[in-house]
Amino acid sequence: MSRFSIDALGEKWLRGFAGRSSRRSFLTRLGATLVAAPVFPLLPVSRANAAKTDRSPEAKTAFARNAQTTDDTKCNYWRYCAIDGSLCSCCGGGVSSCPAGTEPSPVSWVGSCINPDNGKAYLIAYRDCCGKAGCGQCGCDNTDRETPLYMPQLNNNVIWCFGTSSMEYHCSTAVLVGEAQ
Amino acid sequence: MSKAIHFLGSIGPAAALLIALAGAQSGAQAQTPAAPAAPAAPAGLEPETPFTHKLPPLSTRWGFIRGGWESGGTHIFDGDSGKMVGTVQTTRWSDMALDPAGKAIYVAETIWSRINRGTRQDYVAVYDPTTMALLAEITLPGRLIIGAMKNNFVISDDGKTGFVYNFSPAASVNVVDLEKRKLARVVELPGCASLVPVAGVGFSALCSDGTLATVALAGKAPVITHSQPFFKAAEDPIFDSHVHDRGKGEVLLLTYTGQLRTARLGATPTIGEAWSLQAAAGLRPGDTRPLDINWLPGGRQLMALHRKSGTAYVLMHRGEYWTQKQGGEEIWVVDVAARTVKKRVPLKHEPTNIEVTQDDKPLIFLSGDGRNAWVMDATSFEQKHEIENAGGGLVTVLESR
Repeated sequence: MSRFSIDALGEKWLRGFAGRSSRRSFLTRLGATLVAAPVFPLLPVSRANAAKTDRSPEAKTAFARNAQTTDDTKCNYWRYCAIDGSLCSCCGGGVSSCPAGTEPSPVSWVGSCINPDNGKAYLIAYRDCCGKAGCGQCGCDNTDRETPLYMPQLNNNVIWCFGTSSMEYHCSTAVLVGEAQ
Repeated sequence: MSKAIHFLGSIGPAAALLIALAGAQSGAQAQTPAAPAAPAAPAGLEPETPFTHKLPPLSTRWGFIRGGWESGGTHIFDGDSGKMVGTVQTTRWSDMALDPAGKAIYVAETIWSRINRGTRQDYVAVYDPTTMALLAEITLPGRLIIGAMKNNFVISDDGKTGFVYNFSPAASVNVVDLEKRKLARVVELPGCASLVPVAGVGFSALCSDGTLATVALAGKAPVITHSQPFFKAAEDPIFDSHVHDRGKGEVLLLTYTGQLRTARLGATPTIGEAWSLQAAAGLRPGDTRPLDINWLPGGRQLMALHRKSGTAYVLMHRGEYWTQKQGGEEIWVVDVAARTVKKRVPLKHEPTNIEVTQDDKPLIFLSGDGRNAWVMDATSFEQKHEIENAGGGLVTVLESR
């Protein structure tokens, strides 16, 4: 696991996206977002850095204190600290993979969640799986560092099925991007 | 046309049979003139002509309750009787707004030509509030798909302009001319959302840099200005379900920790000083620290304002910070001008949505804990109705102008 780097994240994110999408207009809009909102994914990382390495129970959120690492079909699985929606791991997919016939969103909202086994914080990309009617299983709504719509990269209400062939929301995954500090 | 022919064809034999039976009956009667007269049918059993109801003018006593995530449709309930009076056609991804004078119902929505795929269509549907007839569809270049949040579709005070938030994922606002029923312009608004109309100017929105943006629409090009930063969007954000008071030209803003402030809207808005709801209730102010258990505001549509009396109703729960979506255990009744908490009302359920009617004997609507909704007297706090299967979504009432 490499240490988190915002440059590496940007490169990985955009490379992955470029490989999956040919929608020029969408790229234009996305570019506008990135240019216009330079705080995009930096915030949770900045905040994690600001908190240094204090992972004592007194410094953890209620979610982090009660999180577990063994069952990714439960809402208290550690990566789900800011997830909202049906867990893809309950819908025929996995914690970072989409069920058959659905398409992962190239963009996502993010969270920084603490792994209780090693006490480290990780950046998690919550990618929606798109293209089929709602899964309806294992609905969760965790809200660590979740912000309103004017800070959309940390908002878990938005349907993130942008750049996919369908915007129908099916379920949400929690993809581990890297260590946050 | 072909459907009509098939339909007539299919009812043809049945109609012929009915006519034949009628003829046989009349023939039989002719042969037995001495038979006693049949008893008169009891009242109410006369042949009927089906019809479709019309609604009376939109009432301030009605609550428009969205079905929520699992169910489409916005059902209208009379708060006095608890009875349903009608339905507005809304899909999961739509946003509904009422004309401030009650002259139209607007639904901003998105559909695809093949349900979950195909050509995407974004538009504002305009409905007659009496007949519920579709009057027009105004095409939009796009809109945010989120599943109903307050303040993504708002209407100007004069009812002439609608503002529809778009996120693609670049942020913009569709300015819709509701008189001419066409898109007027699109305003790019990076880093901002949660709209509120500003009379005579355009609209304002909250921004991730902790400012209030104001967009002036008088000129050919929109002019966007920002207030000084007054809140920390990542640390103690202002809820995006803020409440607009059209009469005073103000917006009521509440942060996750419970800091309440009023902003006077205008070309240059005046941001009021923030004060703690908890401190006003004799408790320590809310804090962002973990393990600091306090009463905190939470929910989706978590604050309502009775404009005439200046009374706010806020859903509050016990917990730690980052529980901003948790439903209310109590309603805190707040005198906004006096900065006091007048009363704390315990709740049997934990609703996430609250709204209050804008008349002199206001009613509170609560929803968002399961499928039921509750109507409560906003003065005595006596429960008037529990409405089964009303819907768990946002509640809208007709605003006082």
